[in-house]
Amino acid sequence: MKFTINRNQFIKKISNVQRAISTKTTIPILTGIKLELSQEGLTITGSDVDISIQTFISVSDADNELHIENTGAIVLPARFFNEIIKKLPGEQFTLNVVENNQTIIKSGKTEFTINGLDANSYPRLPEVESNEKLSISAEMLRQLVDETVFSASKQENRPILTGLHLKISAEKLLGVATDSHRLAQRIVKVNNQSDNDYDIVVPARSLKELEHCLIEDNSEIKISISENQILFEFQNTLFYSRLLEGNYPGTDRLIPTSSDTQLTFDAKSLLQSVERASLLSHASRNNVVRLAIDVNASKVTLYGNSPEVGTVEENLTTEALSGADLEISFNPDYLKEALQAFGDTKIEVEFTSALHPFTLKPSDNKENFIQLITPVRTF
Amino acid sequence: MEQKDYYAKFEELQQSSQDLTRKLIEMKDIISHILEENAEFKIENDHLRQRLAEIDNDKTTPQLPEARRTLEKLYEEGFHVCTVMYGAHRENKEECAFCLDVIYGERGV
Repeated sequence: MKFTINRNQFIKKISNVQRAISTKTTIPILTGIKLELSQEGLTITGSDVDISIQTFISVSDADNELHIENTGAIVLPARFFNEIIKKLPGEQFTLNVVENNQTIIKSGKTEFTINGLDANSYPRLPEVESNEKLSISAEMLRQLVDETVFSASKQENRPILTGLHLKISAEKLLGVATDSHRLAQRIVKVNNQSDNDYDIVVPARSLKELEHCLIEDNSEIKISISENQILFEFQNTLFYSRLLEGNYPGTDRLIPTSSDTQLTFDAKSLLQSVERASLLSHASRNNVVRLAIDVNASKVTLYGNSPEVGTVEENLTTEALSGADLEISFNPDYLKEALQAFGDTKIEVEFTSALHPFTLKPSDNKENFIQLITPVRTF
Repeated sequence: MEQKDYYAKFEELQQSSQDLTRKLIEMKDIISHILEENAEFKIENDHLRQRLAEIDNDKTTPQLPEARRTLEKLYEEGFHVCTVMYGAHRENKEECAFCLDVIYGERGV
């Protein structure tokens, strides 16, 4: 196997593949990056079993300056390979596999000889039948991930809650993440030409990595789903992720259908108030802030306190206020993260009682985006 | 003889460690007895309070059914009562939306 390629183009193309490669893997060959050269171009693969990313550099794209002398395949230690390519002096480099998987990388006046591994011992990628019928715009997918995934559990003791629950029926994709303390649910539009409905749980980590891969992408992303894998296809790249096994708990009934107290806030200014109150609540042991709503006086007050440091009290500016008086306590960090997901918009906050979870929805998109926070009992 | 001295020393140490162990066992027994008694008193106190509430009959707030009250008590002691993680310890007593739904939620009969 021997080829010459433009170095900068190569670095750009392998940066996504690098995301899948972990140094902490139990299978030594997975610390490597697999290069496979055919007459059509170069296929690069990285994997950590959970996530596998494969990208293709086409010989027909002139920018790549890819010249193939002879085809073949090799696995090279990813960390060193990456560093070496980045530091090479020339604009191009030549990679040549000689005997015993030894690989010579040449650029300008520099020549590295690297011990590679036999590409035949690299695990095969999962097989997912490519489906032409399901796709979503990169922007929608980014929004969905951005606005829900932070609510997924970070604790491994309940594996199913570390994923994002995705339900696709007709043209509607519903994503839910919860760690049982808070919940985020977002509905976006997908392009679904098939009659199939799907109900799957994708690891939150996979989606975060996928989101990084899509940062500058505005194309349509094809989605294929098999029994235990999901495949996203975009721009010469294949992104595979394992699905989580097990049934996701029913979350529909957690979301209250009616409310007794309704408030409308500007999300940004509420976020600032909560951040101030949490300065002191963080210093106390239980990290709780208290919200007191007096409807007749149209006064909403946020209290934070730390027995050692002191107290804070702030009258919040509301856009609208109705319903019954209420006093409720909650963890300000959950509210903070929820508000960050809303960005700069008006939000409606609805309470049922001091014991029941309360909901937050953006005024302009009430149907499709809802977040839920469980209060803290303080008696 | 030096060696004999050591032997006597060992004998002495063994004796005192045996004494200590015996005392520890005694103390442990007493503690567990007290804890048991304490738990009994708590339950009895609860019953008495309930009885008192019944007699006073001035409770205007709607009471949860007995089964849910038991679950609520378990939850307050720091255990999950939801189907997702029933019986697991609630870390840092963090609230759980699933449990709250089980205890307070409306459930179709």
